[in-house]
Amino acid sequence: MSSGFRAMHPSVALLYYAGLLLFATLLFHPLFLATEIAGLTLLLVLQGQGRQLLRALPFFLLMAVSVAVLNPLFSHRGAHILFYFMDQPVTLEAVLYGLMMMAVLLTVFILFISYSYTVTTDKFMYLFAGAAPRTTLLTLMALRFVPLFQRRLRQITMIQRIRGVDAGKGSVRSRMRDGMTLLKVLLTWSLEEALQTADSMKARGYGVRKRSVYGIYRLDLQDKAILLLLAASGLIPLFFWMKGYGVLEIYPRMKPMHFGWADAAMYAGFCLFVLTPPALEGKEKWLWRSSRRSVYPSAIPRKTGTRFMSSHLR
Amino acid sequence: MLLGPSGGGKTTLLRHLKRELAPVGRASGKIAYKGQPLSGLPAELTAAEIGMVFQNPDAQIVMDTVWHELAFSMENMGYPAAVMRSRLAEIAGLFGLEPLLYKPVHELSGGQKQLLNLASVLLLQPKLLLLDEPTSQLDPVAAREFLQTLHRLNEEMSVTVIISEHRLEEVLPLADRVLLLEEGELRFQGTPRDFVRGAGLALHPPHLAYLPTAARLFLALEPNAVQAPRESIPLTVREGKRWLHSLAERGPGMGEAAADTGTSRLSASASASELLLSCREVTFRYSKEGAEVLKKLSLSLYRGELLAVMGGNGAGKSTLLHVLNGLLKPQRGKVTLAKGVTSGFLAQNPLLYFSYDTVQEELQQMAEYAGLSKEEAGREIARLLDIFRLGDLLLSHPHDISGGQQQKLALAMVMLLGPGILLLDEPTKGLDPGAKERLAALLGELRRQGVSILLVTHDIEFAARYASRCAMLFDGGITSEGTPAEFFSSNYFYTTVVNRMARELLPQALTIEDVMNAWSAFASPS
Repeated sequence: MSSGFRAMHPSVALLYYAGLLLFATLLFHPLFLATEIAGLTLLLVLQGQGRQLLRALPFFLLMAVSVAVLNPLFSHRGAHILFYFMDQPVTLEAVLYGLMMMAVLLTVFILFISYSYTVTTDKFMYLFAGAAPRTTLLTLMALRFVPLFQRRLRQITMIQRIRGVDAGKGSVRSRMRDGMTLLKVLLTWSLEEALQTADSMKARGYGVRKRSVYGIYRLDLQDKAILLLLAASGLIPLFFWMKGYGVLEIYPRMKPMHFGWADAAMYAGFCLFVLTPPALEGKEKWLWRSSRRSVYPSAIPRKTGTRFMSSHLR
Repeated sequence: MLLGPSGGGKTTLLRHLKRELAPVGRASGKIAYKGQPLSGLPAELTAAEIGMVFQNPDAQIVMDTVWHELAFSMENMGYPAAVMRSRLAEIAGLFGLEPLLYKPVHELSGGQKQLLNLASVLLLQPKLLLLDEPTSQLDPVAAREFLQTLHRLNEEMSVTVIISEHRLEEVLPLADRVLLLEEGELRFQGTPRDFVRGAGLALHPPHLAYLPTAARLFLALEPNAVQAPRESIPLTVREGKRWLHSLAERGPGMGEAAADTGTSRLSASASASELLLSCREVTFRYSKEGAEVLKKLSLSLYRGELLAVMGGNGAGKSTLLHVLNGLLKPQRGKVTLAKGVTSGFLAQNPLLYFSYDTVQEELQQMAEYAGLSKEEAGREIARLLDIFRLGDLLLSHPHDISGGQQQKLALAMVMLLGPGILLLDEPTKGLDPGAKERLAALLGELRRQGVSILLVTHDIEFAARYASRCAMLFDGGITSEGTPAEFFSSNYFYTTVVNRMARELLPQALTIEDVMNAWSAFASPS
């Protein structure tokens, strides 16, 4: 199931998403935002997550569009007044600013969908285990308890219904009381078990020495190359941003868009950064497709012509 | 191997051997490991070289994926990544854990979890393994697999193993030395065969329950059992069978006696009595996409009978009980209870039932819910306390009493509802032989009062001995059912130890008593 970008070392993914988040907030420019949205969508679709994106999109659009609509109603800055709405001026600048806000929000939303698919919890934990082993261990254990408690609570609810404790029936007061009873049962049981877990940890030498970290991920050559590429291409837009490029000024008065050679260089670097993972993913897709179409490449030379049982005698 | 009843001090002894877990209290005497006092050894050494596996497979697991759980103990010891990788590869291969490596732990079965626990202890390469009833929560197949792995470790890597166990049938033949602990005292120590002989000679009758079936039969039937040469004492089914055949040859043929064994018990079967619960073509699945757990299952339960439903892991036994009790609603089919009859359900984990601070409060709240008046409640509680012998524990916290007592308390609470049918989920799990007999007596008492009992179990010996009817759950349906004699004698593997030993001579004999009756029935006329 995991191949392409998702199968790469977690640090690559983390750098990519951190970079994207940074650019989404820094580069306030329609072209860059549109490119980022397009790149992420492409990545998601290539990873087979298009359906997930579509399912979440209505909610995101509702949020983002409401921001776009509300901004001109509340903000009246700007020089070009389009019309009056309930005696309030609606300016062109505010409308555009709202649209830009919408684009930023959408970028961040899509970014998080892609992030949660690619960087799972244990990958994230793995990255931080080196820096703070104890904290990571505690976090991991705590994270394990959430689904565990859910499963246990389901069992408890079922059994306690036999003795008339049901948080789904009766008046609000009795429901609350029953809910508390259920939680109490869960708590006593879990604490009791936690004592055994603690014993097991102690028995296996927890706290005897400084913990080391076992990683299932290995930083291979390709990971290093991609890491380098991402870092280099990410620095270009950052450099130009510090020089003041790539930010559209809307308030108090919109500046005309200017696209010079510096902007072009910046955009090229940005594109390289954004599109590298989708390219990797696409390459993987193409590899499988082509390998299905032709015979799997093999180093052993293929014999042609009819062969006979006795052919080796000749 | 450590033997003895629950509460005899087995766990306490094992915990003393593992320094990190030594119980708090006053201790005297000395424990030496490799000639050094245990308390003086460095922490790393004791943590790595003495490994311990506990009873409850779930409670020992710390992390949420298999590989992380395996790595946990090595990470604690601060091994470098390369060492961890190679050790993990080795152990995962040995235990067949490779396909499970990236699975979340809660998807594993009980047996797999316990193997995982053992593997993660072994990663530290211990010289001494302590196991506290490691298979008590496992079904027979998983338990056998676990014990076999343990035996292999012991044989091939000469790891010293100290195990406390109730599953004697499998463990005793493997043991080099047997220790019997009772009330904190060492009552016996020696080889398994000496133990058998000693049990025949001097130990009290309850100790006989700690012998494997073959040895018990040997003591009962062999004319001069106590003086018999040590090597001739049978411990396993194979040895038992050989001995039984030689015994039959020495005596006159037993073939004639075989015909009428077991039948005497069958006549009391409850086929003619009143139908209490029937379920017709019940189909159930947990989710829309999920597989069908129960497929068109039909089953009926009559008054006063004890029906034992058996089946492999994940065959849907617990699901069946939930459906029968109305906790789950089947998608198709119907469960009908006779008029005025209610059912009571006892889940595997009695802790799910408790929500008050004392045993007394638990029972009183339950009586109140059952709608009993004050006097009625008092009378009923007193009666149940008497039957279940819980009188002394009224003021204890339900979590502080032993596992067997917790089970009895939960059962008493269910009984307060006055059910005509009791549904029990694995009631014999983790009980020592004595406790099993007491449970059986209890169920017998309830049956005499007209309660029908349906229990699902893995415990073949228990079902063969006490059930009035047995049924096999497989592939979502009841595949075979009948009286224990019919049911088990038609099975080849899934049957009692006695039946496997004696099936050529006495095909219907299931218990030691069956064989003894057949023997004396044959012996008396001649």
